[in-house]
Amino acid sequence: MIVAERRALSEILKNIEPFEKIMVLGCRGCVAICSAGGDREVAILAEAIRLGRELQGKPIEVEEETFIRQCDPEYLEPLREIKNRVEAIVSLACGVGVNLIADLYPEIRVYPGVDTTFYGANLSLGEWVERCRGCGDCIIDLTAGLCPIARCAKNLLNGPCGGSKGGRCEVKAEMPCIWHEIVERLFKRGELEKLLELWPAKDWRPAGGDGLRIRVREDLRDR
Amino acid sequence: MRNSFKIAILCCNYTNLAEREDLAVIPGEIIIKRFPCSGHIEITDILRSFREGVKGVMVAGCERGSCHNLRGSERAERRVLGARVILQELNIEPERVSMFFVSRLDSGDFVEKAKHFYKKIVQLERKERSS
Repeated sequence: MIVAERRALSEILKNIEPFEKIMVLGCRGCVAICSAGGDREVAILAEAIRLGRELQGKPIEVEEETFIRQCDPEYLEPLREIKNRVEAIVSLACGVGVNLIADLYPEIRVYPGVDTTFYGANLSLGEWVERCRGCGDCIIDLTAGLCPIARCAKNLLNGPCGGSKGGRCEVKAEMPCIWHEIVERLFKRGELEKLLELWPAKDWRPAGGDGLRIRVREDLRDR
Repeated sequence: MRNSFKIAILCCNYTNLAEREDLAVIPGEIIIKRFPCSGHIEITDILRSFREGVKGVMVAGCERGSCHNLRGSERAERRVLGARVILQELNIEPERVSMFFVSRLDSGDFVEKAKHFYKKIVQLERKERSS
């Protein structure tokens, strides 16, 4: 899922400083699963904003709403009416949602309520860990399913590096060296020789180096 | 009264049956809000209490292992931690909200903890006024 984290309240309050009526808008997609932008977080942030503004001596009216998704135009339709009754929206969706609102409703002042951080797995309650960087040119078929782009601090394609010690990373000691794990796993499978094969140079253009990434499925498109 | 402040006690129905008269020894105004279980107390309930003018929020749940709903008071403890993060960001001393695990059958324990919490709030208020 896309993992996000609430922005500092001071930043959120600064963005909405001129307004007297706003909406905190959540999303029931990824940000709800990672406890950053679902119904509960909307209620908490709305209440925190009300309290913060009371303390500033400038009370504010805060509406609360959560859409099924904010990354899909059809779910944003209610904004046509909402924009007439609030001065600004603090969106708790990932950056995709904020951008889409800004694209489709340019007259709405929309501010991010979260920082979008990474694609991660929910390993345990309250713990999310990066597992994919969305680089667009997947190599995990060659690395026993473990991604060195996301999980090696140096994004190495030919690890482990000299800083790997006892299976731990030199950049973050609490982090396992993923290249150590890749080698161990392939060795156990009797597939270590796979790493001796020469790979073509990794294509970094799909990682964003070639401008905006767009995917089109002609078979699905409306004509 | 100069040293009289309003505090809220958010607790579950099962925590105990102490009422305002049991807390009469505390000079301030005590607002007791009861929930079906302390696990039902949300961060929003804590923040709302501050917005309603209290100087401190005591969250009380059953002692570990004695919660009617098994882990409700442990949930409440986490919500207190979450509320503290927000209070800190708003420049409110986080210790103005505290979790207390209280005996289900002993109102005396509940009252003692409430007295102790109130005293702490008075200290925080004095510190704030003198700074």
